[in-house]
Amino acid sequence: MNKFTAIVKKECKDNLRDRRALFSALAPAFFAPIFLVGMITFMLDKLRGDSDDPIEFSVIGAHHAPGLMSHISSQKTVFKKLKIEKSARELVKSGEERVVLVFKSDYQERFKKGQQNTVKIVYEGGSISDTLKHVALLKRLINQYSTRTGLLRLQVRGVDPNIISPIRVADLDVATPAAKALSILLYLPYLIIVTIFIGGLPLAIDTTAGEKERGSLEPLLVQPIDRSVLLYGKMTAISLFSGLSLILLLVILNFLIPFIPFSDLGLDLEIDPMQYLIMFVICIPIIFFSSALLTVVGSFTKTFKEAQTYLSLMIVLPTLPIIVAQLMNAETSLLIMPIPSLAQSTLIADIIERGELNWLQAFVSIVTTTIYAWFLARLAIFLYSREQVVN
Amino acid sequence: MIEVKELKKSFGKVIALDGASFSAKDGKITALLGPNGAGKSTCLRILSTIIKPSSGEATVSGFDVLKDSFEVRKQIGVLPHNSGIYSRLNATENIEYYGQLHGIQAEELKEKTESLLEQLQMKDFCLRPAEGYSQGQKIKVALARALIHDPLNILLDEPSSGLDIMATRALRDIINGLKDRGKCILFSSHIMQEVETLCEDIVIINKGVVKFNGTIDEFRNHSGSQDLEEAFLKITDSSGEDE
Repeated sequence: MNKFTAIVKKECKDNLRDRRALFSALAPAFFAPIFLVGMITFMLDKLRGDSDDPIEFSVIGAHHAPGLMSHISSQKTVFKKLKIEKSARELVKSGEERVVLVFKSDYQERFKKGQQNTVKIVYEGGSISDTLKHVALLKRLINQYSTRTGLLRLQVRGVDPNIISPIRVADLDVATPAAKALSILLYLPYLIIVTIFIGGLPLAIDTTAGEKERGSLEPLLVQPIDRSVLLYGKMTAISLFSGLSLILLLVILNFLIPFIPFSDLGLDLEIDPMQYLIMFVICIPIIFFSSALLTVVGSFTKTFKEAQTYLSLMIVLPTLPIIVAQLMNAETSLLIMPIPSLAQSTLIADIIERGELNWLQAFVSIVTTTIYAWFLARLAIFLYSREQVVN
Repeated sequence: MIEVKELKKSFGKVIALDGASFSAKDGKITALLGPNGAGKSTCLRILSTIIKPSSGEATVSGFDVLKDSFEVRKQIGVLPHNSGIYSRLNATENIEYYGQLHGIQAEELKEKTESLLEQLQMKDFCLRPAEGYSQGQKIKVALARALIHDPLNILLDEPSSGLDIMATRALRDIINGLKDRGKCILFSSHIMQEVETLCEDIVIINKGVVKFNGTIDEFRNHSGSQDLEEAFLKITDSSGEDE
């Protein structure tokens, strides 16, 4: 067995025996897709109910406002009338009711005089439920009625109703609810990049700071091995775990994504195994990049604790270009391909959204990120060739 | 054969070695003796090519630690201060890993490992993970690991620290066995009795300077005291007065 293989084998064996480290390396790859797919399915379920579900609420003092109530009930609604025993506020706070519409007893009188009336909608907005949707729909109905009544009143007095609305805004949100739910899928590229970093993290810590803390680094450096062989061996082992973590993630996604009810939405999102394979190939340079980066940072740390702090910070690093690009609204272009992590995540997004890939862009990203990875690897070798590495 | 000439090493403003010169011969056990912080470890670390000297020269079997560091590493076996073995690997795996790093081929490695396990009486625990080893067992593994490539020169950094009487005796026998096979053994210590029973040659180092290099008898004559401890205190004390 040559020295390089011996190092890779030993590091892998060592890491595989550390159950806790192995779990923390692979857990995100395993649980994140379950969470992601679960969340999309849940949101789609909520949104699909949009058009069919009636507006649900309760009302206090309905008999004061027959006109408004008949306007509301002309739409699909389910409501129950409440007697005024408890205040609406208490009913909602205690969870007995979710949305309560309250009319005051002088409603009818003020209405007749043409004075302004206030109706209260009491609800608990913080909870994760469809309460807000019901409230919004109810408000819309009341506003409709209010505007219509106002206009009628103006017309009766011989005034052109348009005088009170000099500007009218017509907004058109082209995002369908389904598209919003699917926008969660845009986190997928980000998830893929982070999974790569986390997969190699425990071994990167163990093989840098861990060796120092155990006191095994000095005897290791006394062995007749080139530092480059030693470091390439260590980084290869880290890369293997990053790669394993990525493969696990992609396999689980491949299995879980078909469970999202796309067809119900008239959508068709299929990522075939070939596309997963392409994603993997695009990510290979970032695997090397991450293992070299973690090794470089790890070389400066002396203890597990120190390494955990600094190397975990490194996981945030690949997300920065993604966030900046989102803020700047960067489009996929050849220009962003030399930016590691951003390049890969936009390419993956392209594959997911459009099912296609610009081969030139992919090529540029692979070449540039590989070059950075190589530079970082050389830096790691240099850092381990200095005697400060053992001090 | 280990030769050190005018070796200097400073870490920032701290001077660890200030022109140390000595030699250790093949087939002899040489003790590197000195109080804490005298520069013993620095010396051993320079000889094992972990750190580079600021100036001066050090050779191992004729190879220069600076110019031929790679060759020096092949010529030495090092037992570090704390064993530094991998706790999730067992003894056999720990030893074989270092054999592989020395480029020893599988079959030969198996034989060598087997004979070391036998020699150091490690058979009964060699397949358990090193996590649960006693200090003595750990030292044995580290020693076997240092000897796997059958080096000519052996550097031991306070090998008996943390060992009980039985383990210390066993270690002594092993070191004597290595001497009989013509190895050059240099070991650092600050325990007089150990040095007295084990070594012929001693190097006394204090504040980075070698105060004495010769046989134990020469040392007794030199200091005019039959008690080694007295002699040691005398020689390290006089260096204190220089300041």
